Formats: sequence, structure tokens, C-alpha cells
Amino acid sequence: MTRSDVLIAASQPTATPSKPRRRFWSAENPWLWITPAIVFLMLYSIFPLIYNLVISFHDWKTRSKYWEFIGTENWTNLFADSRFWNSLMITFTYVIVAMAIQIVLGFIIALLLDAKPWGSGLMQALIILPMVTAPSVAGMLFRLLTHSEFGTITWLLRDVFQIMSAQEPLIGGTGRYALIGILLVDIWQWTPFFVLIILAGLKGIPEDVVEAAHVDGANWVQRLWRVKVPMLKTVLAVAVLFRLVDLYKVFDYVAIMTSGGPGGRTETLSYYGYVNTFQQIEWGYGAAIGITLMLLVWVSAFAFQKIFRIRW
Amino acid sequence: MTIVQSQDQARTDAWHKVQNQRHRRDRLGKLLLTSVTVFIVFLFVFPIYFWFSASVKPFQYIFRLPPQITFPETTGAWWSVVIGGRDYFETLREEAGGLSSTGGGGTGGYYVVPYLVTSLIVGGLSTLVVISIATPTAYALSRFDPRGKQNIIFFILSTRFMPVVTAVLPIYLIYQQFKLIDTYGGLIIAHVVINLPLAILLLKSFFDDIPRDLDDAAQVDGCTRFGAFWRILIRYIAPGIVAATVLCVIFSWNELLLTLYLTRSELRTIPVAMTTFDSSSGGTEWGFLAAAGSAAMIPVFIFILFVQRHLVRGLTMGAVRG
Repeated sequence: MTRSDVLIAASQPTATPSKPRRRFWSAENPWLWITPAIVFLMLYSIFPLIYNLVISFHDWKTRSKYWEFIGTENWTNLFADSRFWNSLMITFTYVIVAMAIQIVLGFIIALLLDAKPWGSGLMQALIILPMVTAPSVAGMLFRLLTHSEFGTITWLLRDVFQIMSAQEPLIGGTGRYALIGILLVDIWQWTPFFVLIILAGLKGIPEDVVEAAHVDGANWVQRLWRVKVPMLKTVLAVAVLFRLVDLYKVFDYVAIMTSGGPGGRTETLSYYGYVNTFQQIEWGYGAAIGITLMLLVWVSAFAFQKIFRIRW
Repeated sequence: MTIVQSQDQARTDAWHKVQNQRHRRDRLGKLLLTSVTVFIVFLFVFPIYFWFSASVKPFQYIFRLPPQITFPETTGAWWSVVIGGRDYFETLREEAGGLSSTGGGGTGGYYVVPYLVTSLIVGGLSTLVVISIATPTAYALSRFDPRGKQNIIFFILSTRFMPVVTAVLPIYLIYQQFKLIDTYGGLIIAHVVINLPLAILLLKSFFDDIPRDLDDAAQVDGCTRFGAFWRILIRYIAPGIVAATVLCVIFSWNELLLTLYLTRSELRTIPVAMTTFDSSSGGTEWGFLAAAGSAAMIPVFIFILFVQRHLVRGLTMGAVRG
């Protein structure tokens, strides 16, 4: 390009100065960059969702292989179904208990590691391992540990601490408190998640702020509760958001460890949906359960995101 | 003079003493802190150690109480079946004698190599697709401000939040229609969708870290916008791409529910294979399971070494910079 070309180009008046004309097929068009991913995601989320909503108003006749329109029958059945309410309660219990324990434990471990014990780097690396173990493998592993006769955890509770009687298996796959077994895996796997996030948050707090509080006479508890925790709020909120969503969706542990038993004591919504869809072939009903679960997850996740103003 | 000196001396001595005491107390505190932390970390590592050790223990030691944590004897029998492809029944007879109820372990015994290969292919190819779709999207979300950008991000996030149970039946039915059940293609695309939101938002956070001046400089120097993206920015987010790749492979590797639905027998990834080993056998063969599980875990543990630094960022989809 010669100098005069540049001058001419520069002197060309634009068609509408206030709004630069954009060609569609141009790298300046953001939609061209975004569309493939959006289409992909729509295809696998919005479309199945609508499809599922349609299915939830139908009943699949396995014998004659056709969909019968039954209106809202699946939905009215759902609200009358005690097994559904049971699984809902179990899911809520699971979410709340697991979350509370993980936050508290995560906080304690993060503070310990943040105080720089010897070998804290190595310990930080080691504590990641549970988190990247496949949930299915973790489920198996804890099934061995909570084995009603030979499990290490059973042994600890029964023979060492003598909390549990020898006659009745309590936390294994058939135990009365089998849910605790599942909670244990979740806590084992995902407490490290909180540890890492809180550690990252603690590292992000500027030294001088804590120093200043110290100089002003704040003791250790005050420095923690009044200075550090408020500054960790956003980081913690993100962690809770992700955990919240994944706790609602828990499936792998249940499928591997208890299959929802004994007597539905560990049957979470996810698993109940799975049972209806793929074991009893009640597709319409399973769809209704799936949509209920999704609404629960989305409503709580987005309410949470709004309240804590988490932005990406 | 001498009095002053000795007074001085005494004062210094006292000071040293206090310092020493304080130092010792600090060391004691640190020792206490370390032992408490080590104990807690031990609780988290022990199950993994126990699982690995169960995979090399002879049958009679797996169920010993208190749990056997040393290795008086080791056996390669479980691994020889799981990785080496030795006959399952023969090994079981030799190892357990009549002690164990003979289970099935699925069609191929507990031989996991084919499943590991499947996992690797599915994980690798799906991640390749994920990264190639996610990078331009992430770039655009970081650099442009189209109308409703927050809504787009919201949408991407909400697909991450969507429970698999909700979407899986329609996907299953459509797959059946198009004969995609039990095919690599179908499974790979499904895994792409699982990981796409993560990769997009994670990479976006990496793009956000690069100042826009760099794009401008590149474009002033004669790059087109695409050129600036492709030749320059890609290099700067290379660590992000590595992190996203590893995390996507791991999540794909660990995924159970969707894969369970979309595959029947031929094409199972390792977690699905694990569940079928388990449900098809009469009694659970812990030695084999432990070896199979370990074989599934070891690659992940190696992968994660590469992205330990970006793990927090990855798991929060870029919301928390670790």
C-alpha cells in the first residue's frame, strides 16, 4: 500500500459515522466465533430438555411401542408418590449435611496448611488425589472400607471405638445408616476442593491488611472471623455454588455403593430418575423426575449466583 | 565500668534465653501443627493407599482385621489378570482356592486394557474437539461485547449445571434413532458436551488475563483479527489450553452416568466397566476390583501433576484464580 492509498483510505467518509457498518462474514462479528459452541450446547441441553418436557406428558407403551398422551398424569402421580418425596428429602439431607461438613473441614484443613507446617507443599499435592479419583472407583473403594464385616471403617466404629454393635451393619451398603457411607465418600472426595479454594483465597488476602488488624489489637479469632472470612466470601461462594450443583446431582456413589437401598434409604432424586427411566422403563415418569431435579438445581444455583454476585 | 558491662552481659543473656525459649516454643508449635496436619492428610490419603495395597495383597490379607497396612507377602495375580490378560478363573482358583464365590466379571473377565484404550480414545478425541470449539468461543467472549453477553455466559454455565439424568433419555432416544448407541462418534460427541462449558469459561479467564493492548499491537503491526488470535494470543494462553485439556480428559475419563446409558457392551469406558464387573459377579472380587480401579486411577494421578497449579481455576471454571 502506497502512502497516497493510505491517505485516500483515511479520507474516505464512512457511510454512517455513528454506527460502523459491519459485514456479516467478518472476524469482527462475535457471533461467528460463538455460534458453533452455542449450537452444540443447545443441541445437547435445550433440545433434550424440551423433548423431555414433552415426554413427561406421555406414557411409553413398551409392548406396542407407542407414546400415549396422558396429560399431566405423570406430574400428579409424582406429587402423590411417597417414594419421590422420600428421595427429595434424602437429596436435601445429603446436600445440606455434606456441604456443611465439607465447608467446616475444608476451612480447618486450609488454615492448618496455610500456617505452613513442614512439608505443606507435598501435603497439598497429596490432598488433591481424592478429588481426581473417579467417583465410581471412590465408591468401590468406600464399599470395601465400609464392608459390613471386614471394612476398615466398620472395624474402627465397631471394634476400636465401639460405637456400632457387631450384630447390625450400619453404614455399609445394607446398613440402616447407609447414607452416612455415601456422605463419607463425598466428604473424602470433595473436602479437598474446599481446601484448595480456601487456600487460594487465603493467599490472595494482602498481608498488610491482616498485619494492620494485628497491630490494631485484633486477636487470632478476630483476624480470622472479621478480616479473613469476609475477604474469602466471594471465593467461598464460588466453591459452594459448584458443590451445590454437584451434590444435587449425586448418582455415581449411590449406583455403586447401595443401588438406592436398603429400602430406599439412600435413593437420591438422580438415582430415582435413573431407576424409573432405565430399570422400570417408565420413561414419562422418569422425565418428570429429571425435570424436577433440573428445576431444583437451576433455581438454587441461580438464586445463589445472584445473591453472591458471582460473575464470570 | 565492669558493673555496667556485666549488667549488659546479663541483659543480653536474658534476652538470648527468652529468644531461645520463644524459638523452642515456635518449633514445638510447628511440630504440633505439622503432626495434626499430617494426621488429617493421612486420613485422606489412606483410602487410596489401602486400595493400591489391596491390589497386590494375596486374598487372605485383604480382609484381615485390623487392616493389614504392611506387605508381608505380595502377589501379582490380580494385576496379571487385569493388565496381563491371564485367565480369570484359573487365577481365582489358584489364589483363593475354594474361599471365594466365583463371580463372572463380565465377558472378558477383569481384563481392563480394552476399556482403558476406549477411555483414552474417547477422552482424547472429545477433548480435541472441545478445545478447538472452546478456544474461539472463549476468545470472543473475552474480547467482544455482543448484546446479551452475560446471558450467553449464563447459558453456558447452566448447561454445566444441568443434571445428566434430565438430558439423557432424549439423547438416548435420538441416538437410537440415528444408530449412535454404542459408537465412538456418539460417545465422543456426548463427552464433548460435558466438557465444553468448562473449557470455554476456563479459557475465557485466561484470555481475560492478557491485556487487550497485545491484540491492538498485533493488529497495528498488520495482523488481521483472526491472525492476532491464531498466531499470537494462542501462544499466550498455551498454559490455559494445557490445563483445560488435562481437566477435560480427566472428567471424560471419570464420567459414569451418560456413558452408562449410551453404551451397551462393546464400548465401555473404564468407570462403566468397573460397575459391570461388579454387578455381573456373584461375590465381589476385591483383589481384581482393586487392581482394575488402580489401573483407572494411576493415569489420572499422573495427568494431574501437570496442572496442579491451575486446578482450582479449572474446577471453578476460571472464577477463582488459584
